[in-house]
Amino acid sequence: MDQVLQALVNGLLLGGFYAVMVLGFSIIWGVMGIINLAHGEYLMIGAYLGWGLFRYFGMDPFAALLLILPLMFLFGYVLQYVLINRIVERPHLMSLLITFGISIALANLFKILFTSDPRNVSVAYNGSVELLGITFPIVKSIIFGVALLAMLGLHLFLQRSRMGKSIRAAAQNRTAARIVGVDINRTYAVTAGICIAITAAAGAMLSPTQAIFPFMGPPLTLKAYTITALGGLGRIPGALMGGVVLGVTETMVSRFVPGIGTNLGVAISFVILVLILILRPQGLLGGLRPVDPDAE
Amino acid sequence: MMARVWDRLARLGQGWGGLGLWWLLLAVLALYPYIGVTHLTLFLGSQVFVLVILASNWNLIGGMTGYVDFGHAVFFGIGAYVMGILVTKSPLLISPEWGFLQALPVSGAAAAVFALLIGLPTLRLKGPYFSIAMLGTFVAMREIVRVLRPLTGGGVGLNLPPVLNRLGDYYLMLVLMGLVVSVMWWIRRSEFGQSLIAIREDEIGAEMRGINTTLHKILAFMIAAFFTGVVGGFWAWQNTFIDPDVVFIETRTVEMVMMSMLGGLGTVWGPPLGAVVIYVLQTVVWGRLFGIHLLALGILMVLLVLFLPEGILGMSGRGGSTSLGRLLGRIRKRAEP
Repeated sequence: MDQVLQALVNGLLLGGFYAVMVLGFSIIWGVMGIINLAHGEYLMIGAYLGWGLFRYFGMDPFAALLLILPLMFLFGYVLQYVLINRIVERPHLMSLLITFGISIALANLFKILFTSDPRNVSVAYNGSVELLGITFPIVKSIIFGVALLAMLGLHLFLQRSRMGKSIRAAAQNRTAARIVGVDINRTYAVTAGICIAITAAAGAMLSPTQAIFPFMGPPLTLKAYTITALGGLGRIPGALMGGVVLGVTETMVSRFVPGIGTNLGVAISFVILVLILILRPQGLLGGLRPVDPDAE
Repeated sequence: MMARVWDRLARLGQGWGGLGLWWLLLAVLALYPYIGVTHLTLFLGSQVFVLVILASNWNLIGGMTGYVDFGHAVFFGIGAYVMGILVTKSPLLISPEWGFLQALPVSGAAAAVFALLIGLPTLRLKGPYFSIAMLGTFVAMREIVRVLRPLTGGGVGLNLPPVLNRLGDYYLMLVLMGLVVSVMWWIRRSEFGQSLIAIREDEIGAEMRGINTTLHKILAFMIAAFFTGVVGGFWAWQNTFIDPDVVFIETRTVEMVMMSMLGGLGTVWGPPLGAVVIYVLQTVVWGRLFGIHLLALGILMVLLVLFLPEGILGMSGRGGSTSLGRLLGRIRKRAEP
């Protein structure tokens, strides 16, 4: 029983991280209809930023978020304005190819810059706390807390602020939003900026918990896709639910199925993914857009 | 003038003339080893042939059918592993030299069967959903192969018996390349190929016209997987060592996509042309700078999408939809008398 509870807690904590890591992917897809294959690479950049700031300036990865967020917002804004906005209204194939190209270029750029040696960030508080017979790893608990805060903040931004309303309008109907005076290019650039900033922040938070290397991206992109398919597009509660479902499934399987290491996490997400796409293409909750493009 | 030449060339490529020229080229390549070449050039030659085969196969599903497969290298990997397992573990093979040829079709068949199994659920997905599902298949398969230690050797990999026969390799791949491109040429002309293009342009419309879209997609997928699997098996044999990281490597998918795109998606002669161009670029321009290859390919892919999405051969139409395409169109028009 204790073991089950412990695995459940671990899965929940992992799910919190997954939720914040998937937000950017889910919102970019929901708002612009672009499946961002470079998502894992933005996480990777964030992780490297976290590592670099820790290694050379002694900055705590969580404090570094204050620096990483604006930096990556700028990066995302410029990237969207210069590259992605040019192809956003062309067929799906083009956005897939361009983000695939960006993902390959970024991963290999980082391989050239930093070699493919795995890097680690070892923070001082890397221990765990015991509570009611259950172990809580400190770093992962902080990540969970920050993740909830980020989701709350994003939710308020999307619901309350003027920009957030523009973003939601652009997601629902691009043409109508344009007619009522929403600057689509700028709205998209802000959306991409926010999404990529949050994604990179998630990557930076990931840096104390696992090794960082240039090719860590694609499996994370796949997981993001699975979670989005689970939770529905562009929905913050959906991201949280999808993340928790995947996190709990992964920890349970790696704990209780013998002979399978955590390496198979990717395979598990893939199996879940295929099952959802076949059985429930609209996601478990439904979202901004259906996952099945036929219904568009 | 120029535009008319392009049109003539395009029509020639579709007709028997294109196939005739192709066979002429094959004949010249077949005579090539007799004019005094080294083992190295034979090896490089067979490598180029492999790239042409891979690009043509990817184009069948990605270019003609319009289902962009970001995990096509999974069939390459399955072919390679079937070859590796058969050669090292199976007692059925006659001798290493002949056992290799025996195992080669099995590699292809295994990949085709896998394509059937994975295609049944994934090909029901439209557009980007298929692409990412295949990317998932690819990443997941690498981990699965790593875990199935007793069969695949896990992360340690498998060592195949080294049998060096550069001339044999050269001719084998030459024949296979000739076959694959001829098959693509035939498909492009046949009703089957027209149906595939109809699926790419408008899948629902194609279905309304009475095309069994599922059957067509699965067949195209299986053909593309079969030849990719054969090439994978061949590669495992030639390389004499396989492990999950060298076989299931993203580079291969990236190269297939890039070569088809550069040459022209959905054309018969585009992918072979793209394969040769990329190979030359890779060896001559950025080959000497270690590790630049993929970075350059990624940047090239972004640039292609922005400026030349129809590829070199696709450009031959009326100018194209991008600024560079229109510019080339204007230049051609000005050159006309």
